[in-house]
Order: sequence, then structure tokens, then C-alpha cells
Amino acid sequence: MSHTEHSAAENIAQLGWDPDDPHGINPHHGEHHHFIADWRMQVSVLAILLFFTFLTVAFFRIEAWAEVAFGITLPGWINIVGAMTIATVKGILVAAYFMQLKYDKVLNTFVLLFCLLCVGLFLGFSMIDLGSRNLINNFGPGEIKMGGTGYNLNAAPADPDFSVKIGPKVNTGGMPIIYEARLTGAGGTDPHYWGLNTFREDPNLDEAYFWKNFYGAHATHRDLLDEHDYFTQLGFGQHHETSTAQQSRGRHGLTPGLFSDVDPAAHADAHGASNGHGANETQDNGH
Amino acid sequence: MSTMTDTNPTDVPQSILQSPKHWRNRAFGHHWRTGDEEFDAAKLGMWLFLTTEVLLFAGIFCGYAVFRMMYPEAWANGSHYLDWRFGAANTAVLLLSSWTAANAVRCAQLDKQFWLRVNIIITVVCAALFIFIKLKFEYMVKLGQGKAPGTFFSYPGAHDPHEPLWWSLYYVGTGIHALHVVIGAGLFCVVLYYAKRYQSYGPTQYTLVENAALYWHLVDLVWIFLFPLLYLIH
Repeated sequence: MSHTEHSAAENIAQLGWDPDDPHGINPHHGEHHHFIADWRMQVSVLAILLFFTFLTVAFFRIEAWAEVAFGITLPGWINIVGAMTIATVKGILVAAYFMQLKYDKVLNTFVLLFCLLCVGLFLGFSMIDLGSRNLINNFGPGEIKMGGTGYNLNAAPADPDFSVKIGPKVNTGGMPIIYEARLTGAGGTDPHYWGLNTFREDPNLDEAYFWKNFYGAHATHRDLLDEHDYFTQLGFGQHHETSTAQQSRGRHGLTPGLFSDVDPAAHADAHGASNGHGANETQDNGH
Repeated sequence: MSTMTDTNPTDVPQSILQSPKHWRNRAFGHHWRTGDEEFDAAKLGMWLFLTTEVLLFAGIFCGYAVFRMMYPEAWANGSHYLDWRFGAANTAVLLLSSWTAANAVRCAQLDKQFWLRVNIIITVVCAALFIFIKLKFEYMVKLGQGKAPGTFFSYPGAHDPHEPLWWSLYYVGTGIHALHVVIGAGLFCVVLYYAKRYQSYGPTQYTLVENAALYWHLVDLVWIFLFPLLYLIH
């Protein structure tokens, strides 16, 4: 009898309940020590995180350099898997050591992992859906037009339930918004971002100067208005290899001659004097 | 534990020592049995809130993945428009501030009031630096060139018709993240005020420091993934 009473009291004591202090008013009662991180560990984690940041950037830079210098192109998935693996390792380090999940109650880790499981379902099923649509029909992944690309901004919507009210400012007359941008430009005084309309509407504008800036702003597609073919003269004529189904290539920054100092006016004079006007059609490379 | 940065406990002015807001005088809520229970419950609540934050950013990551799959060339062009140097600099800034946030918690646990304030101040300065780099060298420059989201797009040199969509995702993703940076810095400013005025945080009372730091680490965590997705993957 006395034995059971004793063990009950022991159980209560183990629960942390003190009859003399039933509401736990005394702050020193039942206190256990929280984990206090060692500063050397914190510094090491910071150093490792910075090292991984360096590593992921170096990986990216070496890949870009190898592509330009040697024409070695790694498959696209290596780029993605490499960057995401390093990011995941960094994320685990932050969560385990800075957020102290490693030393914390397991419940907090469980809450986070359950959330990440939901994120995985969210991402995974979206990808499965999108990646398998062309297995069911031949149309391939559909193209989202309204709002995203600005195609046919003033055209009647295919489905009135999804019609978008477009103000007059962005009525592109049915052309894609990037063509509209190519015509009107970004405004401002920087000649790199003048649109084609600037050239059309200003008779005093030096043509070579305009095209130098226009193509200098990474517009590596030749425009039909460029009848003196400054596009080729400035070194934009040879494109880098174009994208394939296996590898997407950005055009920006990889175009040969993009940053070279070519004087378009000198080229224009020499070109015009030797070849005359008719030679331009043969050099037109299609854009 | 004796360390390099450890100093003698701060000399506390009598007015602060007697304040009910000083950490020695702060009691936990009367509905808790112990201060530890209150602390653990507050921390669990913070983690539950952080999961909703993760899900918020998961929507952006999912949008990124879907549109990248549909328009790979626009996404390849888009990542080439961004300068990895600014992204890497901001990554370093956020990692450093995450470290100082973790140090702030440690200083509160060890009652190092001076270093608690120093760490919080460094964290807030890093937040300001992050926002400055983002606005001055990225947002301002790109918007000036017409690299704007959706129908505001007016960059004359675009190649792919879907590039405006890339910019929409870029501004929404980094914008919501930058908003979190501002909110986190504001939270640390509140902590700094109470730490300076009342020395409210100490070994038995540091819940707000801990939760502000958790929030800050999450902001760091999101950027750890945003940086390679936007700047490095092409």
C-alpha cells in the first residue's frame, strides 16, 4: 500500500509537478538546460556554407567556360542536379545547425519533413502531369497564351469565361508583346534600349549608331529594317549552336562578337563602296 | 563553456534590473506549468507557421518548374540576363546574417547582452545590404532596360515570346522573398529595442530571439534555393 503511494508520488515527481508549487510559479523549478551551440561549430557551419556557395558558382562558371572555350556541352540535367544537390546540402546544414533541429525536439523536425513531403507531392504531380500529356495525345504540352506571352492581346478570347480586360496601353495589335517591345523600346535616354520606331521616326539618327546599340542590347536576331546588314558586320552573323530538345541554350552573352569593338560606320562605308546594295540579300541569314 | 567572445556578465543599471521587463523578472504565462513548456510550445507554433511559409514559396517553385518545362528557351535566356555575381554576393550576405542570428540566440542563452545587440545589429545591417543590392543593382537596372514583368515588358532585345513570363516569376519570387527580409529585419529591430532598453532576453527568457532567428534562417533557406534556380540553372 505504502509502496504504491510512494511510486505514485514518484510518478508525479517525474511529471514535474510539485505540490508545493502546483502552478510552477517558481521559474527555477523543473528547469532543464537548453542546448547552447558551440561557437566553433557555428563558425565551421558558416565556413562550409560559404564554401558550398563558392562550389556551386564555380561549377556553373566552369561549365559555361567549357562550353564556350572547348565546345563541351554537358547534358542539361547535370547542371540542374549539381546546383540542386549543393543547395539541398546547404539547406540541411542551415536547418540542422543554425535552426538547431539536430538538437531540438523531434516533433519540430517531423513538422518540417511532413511539410516537405507535401511540397514534394505538389511539385511531383505537377511534373508528372505536364510531362506525360503528350503520351495521351499528340498535341504536346499546351501553350499558355493569355497574360504570359501577350500574344493576341486584342483578339477575341477563345473562351469568354477566361477573357481578360486589356487596357489600351498594352494593346499590341495582335502581335506578341516582345515584338511590341522591339518596336517601342524601353524609353529613356540609353540608346541600347531604343526601339525600332526610334530609328524609323527620326530621320536625323545615324543608322549605324542605332544598329550598333540595338544589337549591342543583345538583340541577336537580325531585323528586316537592317538593310545594310549591320547585323553581320557587327559579328552577329554566326549564331552559337541553337537549342535542341536535349539542351536549351540562352542566346544572351554567348553570341560571338557581342562585346567586341567593331566600328559599324567604317564597316558600312567599306561594305557599301565595294559591294553595292544588291549584295545584302545574299548575306541575309533569315531573321 | 569558455569561449573567445565570452565576457564577464554585463553590469546592469539598477533601473533595468528592477524593471518587470528585465529577463530575470519576466515570468512565463500562468497557464503553463514551466517556462520550458511555454518555450517549447511557442517554438512548435513557430515551426508550424514556417511550414505555411515553405508552402507559400513552394507555389513559386512549382510555377518555376512548370514554366521552365514548357518554355525552356525563355528560362535559359532569363537566367543569362541575371548576373551571378549579385546573386552570389547576396547569398554570402544572407549566410553571414544567418550566422549572426544564430549567435544572437547563443548570446541570449549566455546572458551576453552586449554581443546579443552586436549580433542583431549585424543581422539587420546585412538585411539592409541585401535589399540595397537587390534594388540598386538588379531591380532598378532591369526595370530601366524594360525587363519588366508581364504586360509591362518593353525590353527591345528579347528573343523568346515567353520572356515576360520569366520576368513575372523573377519579380514575384524575389519580391516576396525581399518582403520577408524586410519583415525579419523589422522583427529583429523589435528584439533589439527590448534588448537595449530592458535587457529582456536572457538564459530563461529568449523565446522571441529564438523565433526571430528561426524566421530569419527560413528566409536564408529560401534564398539558398532561389539563387541557383534563378541565376545558375539554364
